[in-house]
Amino acid sequence: MSAGTLKCNDIRVSFGGLKAVDGVSYEFRPGKLTGIIGPNGAGKTTLMNALSGHAATSGGSVILGGRDVTRLPVHERTRAGLGRSFQMTKIFADMSVLENLEIAAFAHRYRVQPFWAPARRFRAVRERAEAVLEEIGLFRLARRPAGTLSHGDQRALEVGLALLSDPSVLLLDEPLAGVGRDQLDGAVALIEKIVRGRTVLLIEHNMDVVMKVSDELVVMVRGRILSAGSPAGIRADKAVRAAYLGEED
Amino acid sequence: MTRRIVGTALMGLVIAAMIVAAWLVPGEQGVNLVSLILVWALFAIGFDLVFGVAGMMSFGHAALFGVGGYVATNLMVFHGLDFMSALAAAAVGGALLAFGLSVFAMRVSGLFFSLLTLALAQMIYVLASNRLRHWTGGLDGIAGVPRPALLGVDFYDNRNYYLFLVAVFVAGLALMALLRTSPFGRALRAIQANDVRAAQLGYNVNRLRQSAFIVSGAYAGVSGALLASLMFYISPQMLHWTTSGDVVIMAVLGGKGTLLGPVLGVALFELLKEELSQYTQYWYGLIGLVFILATIFLRHGIAGLFLGRGDEGKGGSS
Repeated sequence: MSAGTLKCNDIRVSFGGLKAVDGVSYEFRPGKLTGIIGPNGAGKTTLMNALSGHAATSGGSVILGGRDVTRLPVHERTRAGLGRSFQMTKIFADMSVLENLEIAAFAHRYRVQPFWAPARRFRAVRERAEAVLEEIGLFRLARRPAGTLSHGDQRALEVGLALLSDPSVLLLDEPLAGVGRDQLDGAVALIEKIVRGRTVLLIEHNMDVVMKVSDELVVMVRGRILSAGSPAGIRADKAVRAAYLGEED
Repeated sequence: MTRRIVGTALMGLVIAAMIVAAWLVPGEQGVNLVSLILVWALFAIGFDLVFGVAGMMSFGHAALFGVGGYVATNLMVFHGLDFMSALAAAAVGGALLAFGLSVFAMRVSGLFFSLLTLALAQMIYVLASNRLRHWTGGLDGIAGVPRPALLGVDFYDNRNYYLFLVAVFVAGLALMALLRTSPFGRALRAIQANDVRAAQLGYNVNRLRQSAFIVSGAYAGVSGALLASLMFYISPQMLHWTTSGDVVIMAVLGGKGTLLGPVLGVALFELLKEELSQYTQYWYGLIGLVFILATIFLRHGIAGLFLGRGDEGKGGSS
């Protein structure tokens, strides 16, 4: 794993007449965690979708590791080193936790999926999946159908799926959404553990958490970057406070 | 997990018992019925790779089935090719047509995919019935489709041909069992459960769906050729949309997404057809009734009885 570079040049995404992302240019700091905050509807998730290929851009470009990936489909961006977790949990609910991770491991390891032998024969893939299982702390739940896990554990699995390809750039969209108070500390510790050495973008509404884990903060309002800087600097920024107070409360 | 293994083993036993029982019954009635079941079962397990595993509701599989039959028939009747080569050509023909259809149909998904496959298949049916009469025999069809000439065995004897069909069926079933448990099969299941996530993990979703469709086309092609030679006859009726509908009913009745369920679905369908058609010409309506009842009370088909999946419904896969 090496810290990847991620740069956006004047990214624009429109839904009909609505400019969800309206010209965002930013170079994310390699190997650092950048928190993205802003009121609801600011375009945070849409920006992330544009970066990962889930939303079509109407302008601008995405540069991943020095390569223009703006026109690449989702799976090619994943292969280029981009990992992502989703705001709404997208796991394979009917499959076991281990199978979920194995599916991710096969996707990562093979361009053409092997069809000549049963999946269980692939030892290396199993071991890779088990290693991530250990890392996200779900080893004891390996055989459980993923859909029966607690919400917090499902969020951890969601992150684990993104982690399996060992991405150099990791996009985390509200990994803590809906995680109960009692599981919050563990979840934050997990995030801090896995992000080390990667370029990470984190969307998160819990201000205490964002301030704690971020190296840098980007504040988005109405599809644009309002302000960017260190957490301490952002905390003191009058314009940021005004944007938040004006729109949310 | 163990329930799954035991259930699958039981289903396998039922199918094996059916195959053996048909052989033990003196005369040809038993083997004739089960021959038909085995050929359609091959079609159905191939169809289920697309329908039950990858989660694409194709309503155009009749085209693949019928074209496979016609490719083999034409090569044997008009060009004197031997049976085994013609069978291989039917597989290739089915696969190639599946590729061609997928190029158009996979531009859309969900219901639109179903409708587009239906439209494309009907187009082929109409062409076969009229324009391509030279190759298809038009609505009269082509009679005298040959059977294999192998090892000096007389396969025009239905009991001998039965053994040939059992061998092809077992080989096709074994290959499909492997495909479904392979990483390829798992990837298809992942796509069905959540295609957005599967793509994000790095799977080329379209390529995988297309591969499944092509494999399914090869199965349909082979089974179409086998049906033509079993009946000594082929007509555009094999290409008709009702054939596509039949295979959907068989898969759902048996339990879509399971390896052996569709085989049992075919068996029940053909048994009902055989029995009911002796009493009434409205047998198809009665099968429809059975189908409706099954979708209400047996959500996972016959396989659900064996695998212990009742009416609880599957957990969401969001």
